Amino acid sequence: MDKILCSVATRGRYHTTLPLVLSAIINQTRLPDKLVIFDDNDEPKDLRNELAYSYFFKMLDLKGVQWQWLFAEKKGQHHIHQMANTMGYKWVWRVDDDAIPEPNVLENLYRIATKIDNVGAIGGSILTPPLIFDTSKSTGKIANIDKEPNIQWNHIENIVEVEHLHCSFLYRAGVHDYNLGLSRVAHREETLFTYGLYQKGYKILTVSDAVTWHFKNPQGGIRSETQQELYWHDEQIFRNIVGNSDRTIVVLNCGLGDHIVFNSILDSIPNPMVFGCYPEIIPCRSIAEAQALFGDLDQWNIYKKMAQWNWTGNLEDAYRKLYL
Amino acid sequence: MELDRQPRRCLQKTLFMIVIHPFAKKLVNGKQNPKNYPYWKELIALIDEPIIQIGIEGEQQLTPDFRKNLPIPELRKLIQECRIWIGIDSFFQHLAWDEGKSGIVLWSVSDPLIFGHPENTNLLENRDNLSKNQFLWWDFTEHDASKFIEPEIVKNYL
Repeated sequence: MDKILCSVATRGRYHTTLPLVLSAIINQTRLPDKLVIFDDNDEPKDLRNELAYSYFFKMLDLKGVQWQWLFAEKKGQHHIHQMANTMGYKWVWRVDDDAIPEPNVLENLYRIATKIDNVGAIGGSILTPPLIFDTSKSTGKIANIDKEPNIQWNHIENIVEVEHLHCSFLYRAGVHDYNLGLSRVAHREETLFTYGLYQKGYKILTVSDAVTWHFKNPQGGIRSETQQELYWHDEQIFRNIVGNSDRTIVVLNCGLGDHIVFNSILDSIPNPMVFGCYPEIIPCRSIAEAQALFGDLDQWNIYKKMAQWNWTGNLEDAYRKLYL
Repeated sequence: MELDRQPRRCLQKTLFMIVIHPFAKKLVNGKQNPKNYPYWKELIALIDEPIIQIGIEGEQQLTPDFRKNLPIPELRKLIQECRIWIGIDSFFQHLAWDEGKSGIVLWSVSDPLIFGHPENTNLLENRDNLSKNQFLWWDFTEHDASKFIEPEIVKNYL
């Protein structure tokens, strides 16, 4: 059976919703193999001697769930999620620190994720009482993100293929990176992440019988930033990525030889938009422009990718894997 | 007579010229690039053919004909005109591959199975010499002359 990591990013909620979330995770009918709590608090505490937490940790031990409490870098939750994404697990179940899953959520998400081919991410309802949105006409398409409520904001009757997910979900780890170019508010990070999986050809699903209750809390939280310009910055990156969704973004922030090798597969790439350093090899726009448009360029760093993949094939095939 | 000589000159140029590209890009830390072949002088001494060295300003001159900072189209032209080329793991082996002209690549710590082309003669002393991590900057790898193949052996492939 595949290994599942459960990741919880937390800030400012030690004594409000975080204990509820941990209790809900411990009481899942299908337990994760490991739970990692990424503590992004300004003044992190050792909670092992606090009554409720000490019992939580003992319960995890008794149930055979490995657990780890990591003090995060305070760079935003996208950095945290990227760490979880690259910890070597096949699946990661990300749970917000104010989102309380019902006991069957992980079991149902995992069951369907492994029953249907090529699932990239799968999520259930995310309900914020007392709100229930009319999602009867929602499509889950990224193009409609400004026009319709998210399908996850109501009870879901059937399995629906969508293009992006919200809040908490189970995803296939290590196949797509979080955009680390977003600011520390990480506005739209999960939308960009799941949409990136969709663009890579994976199915993004919303399913029934997997309800998570979102105790939206104005206090604390990983997004407790108020600087409007940070949201604007992230929104621009989001718009640029979505606005170019019909293009294959190619970023060659690498050497001359790499450009030459890449050039050999250029014709097979659908509708490419190339950013690079050597326009005499491949007509391209500048790396600085790519940085401004899309934020983080690491997702296109062929050397980082080859290292992640433990690559032993040739460079040309590595480019094919990245772009085709 | 003039008309008769002209084609011979072209023929000579095509048959007897070797291009060498001896040096990889300089490292940021100022150390010698571990991919740089250490026995160029010895190898050149073994070759009895005209040699054109290509590279950039600031690199050590190894042959009387050293052409610096050539634009890509000029390099492509030289590749087509030479009998064979000899290089290291740098952009030039990729450019020649793109031109469909095979040559000799002198390897040490980088892996020819990843960064090379099977169309070339890839001379690697020993795969045990390969850097454990092929995807970091080469600044972190020390230059080691013992990891390269001897010039006398290279000569056999010319």
